[in-house]
Amino acid sequence: ILVIKCCLFQGGLADADTIFALSSGYGRCGVAVVRVSGPASATALRSMAGHRLPPPRTALLRSITDPLSGEMLDRGLVLWFPAPHSFTGEDSVEFHIHGGPAVITAVLQALGSVPGTRPAEAGEFTRRAFQAGKLDLTEVEGLGDLIHAETEAQRRQALRQMSGELGHIYRDWSHKLKRCLAHIEAFIDFSEDELIEDGVLDQADRSVCDLQSQIEQHLRDERRGERLRSGVHVVIAGATNAGKSSLLNTLCQRPAAIVSPIAGTTRDIVETAVDIGGFPVLLSDTAGLRESADLVEQEGVRRARERVQQADLTLLVVDSTCLPSDVQRAAGFLSEHLRNMCLLVLNKSDLLPETQRQKLKMELRGVSGLPAVCLLSCQTNEGLKDFLTVLQSSVKTLCGDPLAGAPTLTQARHRAHLQQCVAALSQFQRYRDSDLALAAEGVRLALTSLGRITGRVGAEEILDIIFKDFCIGK
Amino acid sequence: MLTKKLQPVQSFLSLVSRSVGHFPRQHYDVIVVGGGHAGTEAAAAAARLGAETLLITQKIHTIGALSCNPSLGGVGKGHLVREVDALDGLCGRAGDWAGISFSILNRRKGPAVWGPRAQLDRQRYREFMQSELLSTPRLTVMEGSVEELLVTDPNPEQPGQHRVNGICLANSSHPISASSVVLTTGTFLSGSLFIGQTTSPGGRIGDAPSSAGLSHTLRERLGLKVGRLRTGTPPRIVKDSVDLSLATLNPPDSSPTPFSFMNTHTRCRPEEQLPCYLTYTTPGVERVVRESLHLNCHIQQDAKGPRYCPSIESRVLRFPGRRHQVWLEPEGLTSDLLYPQGLSMTMPPDVQLRLIREIPPLHKAEIHMPGYGVQYDFVCPTQLSPSLQVKSTQGLFLAGQINGTTGYEEAAAQGLWAGVNAGRRALSKPPVALSRTESYIGVLIDDLVSRGVTEPYRMFTSRAEFRTSLRPDNADLRLTLKGRFELGCVSSSRHQKAVRVKNSLQDALAALQALSLSTTSWKRKIPDVHVSEANSNMLSGIEMLQYKDVSFQVLASIFPEVLLPFMEFSQRLKIEAVYRPHCESNKREIQRIQEEENMSLPEDIDYLSLPVSLSQEVREVLHRARPSTLGAATRLEGITPAAVVNLFNYVCFAEKRKKTSHGNQRRQKEGREEELCASLPQ
Repeated sequence: ILVIKCCLFQGGLADADTIFALSSGYGRCGVAVVRVSGPASATALRSMAGHRLPPPRTALLRSITDPLSGEMLDRGLVLWFPAPHSFTGEDSVEFHIHGGPAVITAVLQALGSVPGTRPAEAGEFTRRAFQAGKLDLTEVEGLGDLIHAETEAQRRQALRQMSGELGHIYRDWSHKLKRCLAHIEAFIDFSEDELIEDGVLDQADRSVCDLQSQIEQHLRDERRGERLRSGVHVVIAGATNAGKSSLLNTLCQRPAAIVSPIAGTTRDIVETAVDIGGFPVLLSDTAGLRESADLVEQEGVRRARERVQQADLTLLVVDSTCLPSDVQRAAGFLSEHLRNMCLLVLNKSDLLPETQRQKLKMELRGVSGLPAVCLLSCQTNEGLKDFLTVLQSSVKTLCGDPLAGAPTLTQARHRAHLQQCVAALSQFQRYRDSDLALAAEGVRLALTSLGRITGRVGAEEILDIIFKDFCIGK
Repeated sequence: MLTKKLQPVQSFLSLVSRSVGHFPRQHYDVIVVGGGHAGTEAAAAAARLGAETLLITQKIHTIGALSCNPSLGGVGKGHLVREVDALDGLCGRAGDWAGISFSILNRRKGPAVWGPRAQLDRQRYREFMQSELLSTPRLTVMEGSVEELLVTDPNPEQPGQHRVNGICLANSSHPISASSVVLTTGTFLSGSLFIGQTTSPGGRIGDAPSSAGLSHTLRERLGLKVGRLRTGTPPRIVKDSVDLSLATLNPPDSSPTPFSFMNTHTRCRPEEQLPCYLTYTTPGVERVVRESLHLNCHIQQDAKGPRYCPSIESRVLRFPGRRHQVWLEPEGLTSDLLYPQGLSMTMPPDVQLRLIREIPPLHKAEIHMPGYGVQYDFVCPTQLSPSLQVKSTQGLFLAGQINGTTGYEEAAAQGLWAGVNAGRRALSKPPVALSRTESYIGVLIDDLVSRGVTEPYRMFTSRAEFRTSLRPDNADLRLTLKGRFELGCVSSSRHQKAVRVKNSLQDALAALQALSLSTTSWKRKIPDVHVSEANSNMLSGIEMLQYKDVSFQVLASIFPEVLLPFMEFSQRLKIEAVYRPHCESNKREIQRIQEEENMSLPEDIDYLSLPVSLSQEVREVLHRARPSTLGAATRLEGITPAAVVNLFNYVCFAEKRKKTSHGNQRRQKEGREEELCASLPQ
């Protein structure tokens, strides 16, 4: 029985790839465990945590570094489980690291850069354990449900639900690649007997080229889901002298920007990386928005506006002493300055009389169409705690709620498949002139990789396109 | 060197009389019904296996007839011919004997998709097939028409509701019994012929229709689901009436490449070969088709047309306003006819003449025999197991067009496979499997039995997932050794040759691997080749051979003492070197599929009531398709991974229960040990 059992799960569900994943729950926690399993585990451990392997099954404190840049990511415990004495029966490694999402993401990204590794599919560790005979048959009863998450139908469903733009892009690529493959296959299978013009291949060449550069571009530019890696872009904007630079200094707890009572002190953008509730945030201070005759300041304002356009979140700073004293009119005034994703910071609250502060707090809370409003004094730090709570929850929303799933993992998986897709397309280019069969193999592989995101494409589907586009006789 | 079978055919007429004259025995191991491409391969394969075999055909002199196009092989189909040959089948050698115009299609597209192809002399092909069959030991050939299958109760030890144990001939009161019966009735199962508005029963013009009894037995007695397909053939044209100067000459390869691994050259000498000609349809052709649609029964009955266009009518209707290729092919060395490939049609004969005369080189052409259409029943092949035995009926095997395929090569491949399995069954050997990871025959069989057909099934290279590994050049390495020991259908002389080839290739690759030089040394030795500078380390001979412009001959001229002994394999070595890395990366996936294929699902599972968590939809899919292995189940549309896991668990437990009850019959202790073993990790 066990022999048969092993047959089933060898390869298809598990294979010689080395897989990695976060094994502890996602989200902020004291310690996170990242597990690696497969033949490249030792390589991964050596390249990230020192050249000598630790003794088997012994926890050692090591610096964990990025294998490419050598940059230190964290200090944590590493454990080495040589095969077969591990959960999966393969060579395995565990990293016990600090639990912030930024650290976890950095370590996962670093692991992904080790040759021969890829993010694990759902349930893959369990499957490998099963394959190695580490689990009893009854324990595997639940495995069906686990694998269920990866059915074709659900994959397609997930794709449909994928935020409009991205899903559209993936589907479009898949469609183009399918057509491209169909035309190459038509040329291979039929061009000797049927009328299939050479132009068909030239068109396929162009499509492959286009697709390759589009996917590469996408891999370079992609922002969505990667905020955790590079940080949420938060831009501080507002009129001159509202206290934007003071807010920056308050948030990063050091005098990063020059602060003075003179309007227009900040002319260029001042950037600084901060940690807000465990999430990396790239904070930018910008020039105050006003009409100015000064050429340098004009450029500063232009850059400020541009940065606001690109921001994930804008902190709109308003000098609370400049607000109209009538609260209703104040709400109207504030609405004019709104952007999609922003927080209103009413600075210099220490300069307002207590009664006015209370009134603003009470009445602005209920006004519809206004985002969260925070009264704050960068001078006295009054209201800072409340502001930080609001800011933290906004950043968390932007990064996706990690407890609700593992967006970065899904994203990393997509990324891996897209990278394979691009690599396979370059096989097409390499063999295009010398061996069309090997070139076509590249496109087939590319479609298989993309198919892991958008759904599998079978031979019949390709034949459908061929017979629709070409007249193929007997 | 040509094989013995390529010697001029002698006195085969006397062999014919041997077969017909004798009253048949009362029992055979295998009876094959039909003498077409499937039947001949089936009968020969069963006999090679050691089974006493009877081939029944309507007329011995039509054995090996090419009912349609006078050609063999092509892209995908050529792969099948090479594989049938590697398993010691007939069609490859027959092609070498009868070929009059050889070419490798796709020559510029890479060896994995090369398509060996030949125009055939119809007369020579028949001669070869008849002489070969009539001189095959243990094979008796007999003329007759099968009226009925003998159906009896099944063997309770095996799955199935019925058993076929012989046949009844028309006009004969003596049934002939057999352990296995292979039906290869082609288009004759309830076949009807169509020309214009006239319809007549039959499967091929000039032949009597087959008996209605057989069709009735399959449908009513055995309860098999049948479908209906159609095909057609073009008119044959009198060669002298064609102005070939208006067509484009398409010469064959100057040096013919034989199909068979056993042959180094073909019977036809290079200079004797005949060319083909290429011409195109004109708007006039489209006009004639449209004007005559109301006279065209075959086309009007367009119930479920195939995705591709088998006839000129469907071509111009589906793709109007285009010109279509027409190949004018020779029918034989001495034949005065031409075969217009691409002009299959079913309109009335006078309209056919009008149509072809719209094509410039045919403007004065005369028709020798008009084209016609055929409609026929096929048995939905999902009712077959991968051995091509009908699942519900022990001992009944089907091969060829009866399974919904089209093409000589597809038929030959199935025939060989059905013959092997029918023979094995008769000799009480277990059925064997041929995976889609190791052969196009495996792809063909798996597609048929696990997916079924909706249009005549034809082989394309795009159907093979592992195309880079399944090449025409290595069919012998893939199949001949297996064919000798696992299947039992390969002669010892062919086996010895394959072993010699395999060893030589291995030795040569080892020698190439051992030739390790630095990039600079290679550059000095082969100055014209651009070796990439990035490769600063040592390069082996195999890696050098991967460069586009480096041939084995070039390397052999540099290292004659090591490489010259392998010159006869120069082309195969070049291909091996280039494809090796790609085949390596295929291996893991191939292994996975093979392992899944090794796990068979019991044939008698009732999926609708199986006490396992499966959705209704999945149950219905499984019930309809009845996959024979877990691998086949995973490839079915609508089957979820979860369903596969649950199915797998069920089979494991069922297996375990069986073992336990078995164990109880033995001594108690032994049973316990077995249980214990089963629950331990390996």
